[in-house]
Amino acid sequence: MLKDITLGQYFPGDSVVHRLDARTKLVLVIVYIVALFQAQSWLGFGLVTLVTAGCVAASRIPPKTMFKGVKPMLFIIVLTAMLNIFYTSGTPVLPGWIITWEGISRACQMVLRIVLLISGTFLLTYTTSPIALTDGLEMLLNPLRRLHVPVHEMTMMMSMALRFIPTLIEETDKIMSAQKARGADFETGGLVQRAKALLPILVPLFVSAFRRADELAVAMESRCYHGGEGRTRMKQLRMGRADHIALFLGAAFLAAMIALKRLGL
Amino acid sequence: MLNPVIVFENVHYTYPGDELESLCGVDLAIERGSFVAVLGRNGSGKSTLAKHMNAILVPTSGRVLIDGIDTADEAKVLEVRRRVGMVFQNPDNQIVANVVEDDVAFAPENLGVEPTEIRRRVDAALALTGMSEYSMHAPHLLSGGQKQRVAIAGVIAMEPEILVLDEPTAMLDPLGRKEVVDTAYALCKARGMTVVLITHHMDECVDADRLLVMSNGSIAADGSPAAVFSDQALMEREGLGVPETARLLQALRASGMALPEDRLDTEGCAEAIAQAIRTEA
Repeated sequence: MLKDITLGQYFPGDSVVHRLDARTKLVLVIVYIVALFQAQSWLGFGLVTLVTAGCVAASRIPPKTMFKGVKPMLFIIVLTAMLNIFYTSGTPVLPGWIITWEGISRACQMVLRIVLLISGTFLLTYTTSPIALTDGLEMLLNPLRRLHVPVHEMTMMMSMALRFIPTLIEETDKIMSAQKARGADFETGGLVQRAKALLPILVPLFVSAFRRADELAVAMESRCYHGGEGRTRMKQLRMGRADHIALFLGAAFLAAMIALKRLGL
Repeated sequence: MLNPVIVFENVHYTYPGDELESLCGVDLAIERGSFVAVLGRNGSGKSTLAKHMNAILVPTSGRVLIDGIDTADEAKVLEVRRRVGMVFQNPDNQIVANVVEDDVAFAPENLGVEPTEIRRRVDAALALTGMSEYSMHAPHLLSGGQKQRVAIAGVIAMEPEILVLDEPTAMLDPLGRKEVVDTAYALCKARGMTVVLITHHMDECVDADRLLVMSNGSIAADGSPAAVFSDQALMEREGLGVPETARLLQALRASGMALPEDRLDTEGCAEAIAQAIRTEA
């Protein structure tokens, strides 16, 4: 069951989106999020949806995979939709009902917004290797070093976390099997009982995570790791023509979205 | 000794908070280009010995010289670690990247090597460990033996003179063990690398140039594998099982067959016995 988690997963490929520089993609995702929140009308949402669909098609990531990433958020999506349907005032759908046409419209837009937000950000992690992603982030945040922000350390921690997700998932599965073999029950009982049943998993998991961290630190030191000072990279990030075009298109898209909002469309 | 690359001079070490010494006066010199195996039961100090070789631990008293550099000299720690590649027991906990070739590149990146040179070293290291075809794989999907070979490639990319393997096979199945040990022997024989293999599997020591047995923080035996294995009293005292081949040769010799002591690998042993039978017949 834990194997289904797609968070931070990377699907290697050779599409236009894959080949873009990680920095370009990071900037474009921020542009995308800002543009998404400019959408007020169906016209605006239509444009964002079209752009998202275009990007997904260009990345050659199967739409099925994209929807798998949305699945864990289903609860939040349904909840937001419900709240919007029932708590928006306007013309009732039928006389005497509390459900309004405006409510339905708002709910649909909210759901669309969340789905697009998730798809856009997942497209980044699906098409960018974690190393390129953290390298790009480190370079983008580099100016913050002047303010004594430990940029290298933060991005290193991020890439380590991504590296150990599969290892820790595997370990959790092992511990769960071991506890089940001793009669632990994770599947029945109320919410509180189930939460309590997780404790015998979390304790050994934490203990082993700390041991791993300790061994990893020694192994990294043995391989001459001494912080970001004087480090080089095997894979240099390079901005090409495709990156410039992509950034230009991103800027045009954002301008269009802002214009639409200003025009009240 | 002509050209020692690792020198221990009366090394004592006590872990912080421990009462007992973990190393009590180790004197040792390891010849450049040799393959040295270190045996010993748990807690004998063999891992502590290994950790002194790349300045993870620094002697409480005495000193360790790597290529003439004192490991206690903090300014030269990187120099020491570049010369001594260290591979640990758990392969999962020493791989830092999500892609094999990115992991192998980690050490040279830390050393500030030029990108094109890193590329060359990574390709060479993967070729030497026989992992070239896996360069784009995710490490967590590899087998234990393959992961450990990636770890070896990761330290070879520093181009070290010495390779120290601290129980690299303890968590592997027999097939994985063979992969890793064969790789280590090949690096010593073909590349002239000095290899120190810490283990508790007797059969991995059979082809070593020299075998050390650690006991209670000091060296209990030091010599060729054949000489050490033939000292049955010592092996029993240290709780070490003699390799099957040594036991067989010993039993046959006791029953009056003329057999050599030093044919410990399976094939050599079989050959020696076949020859002995032929000459007797």
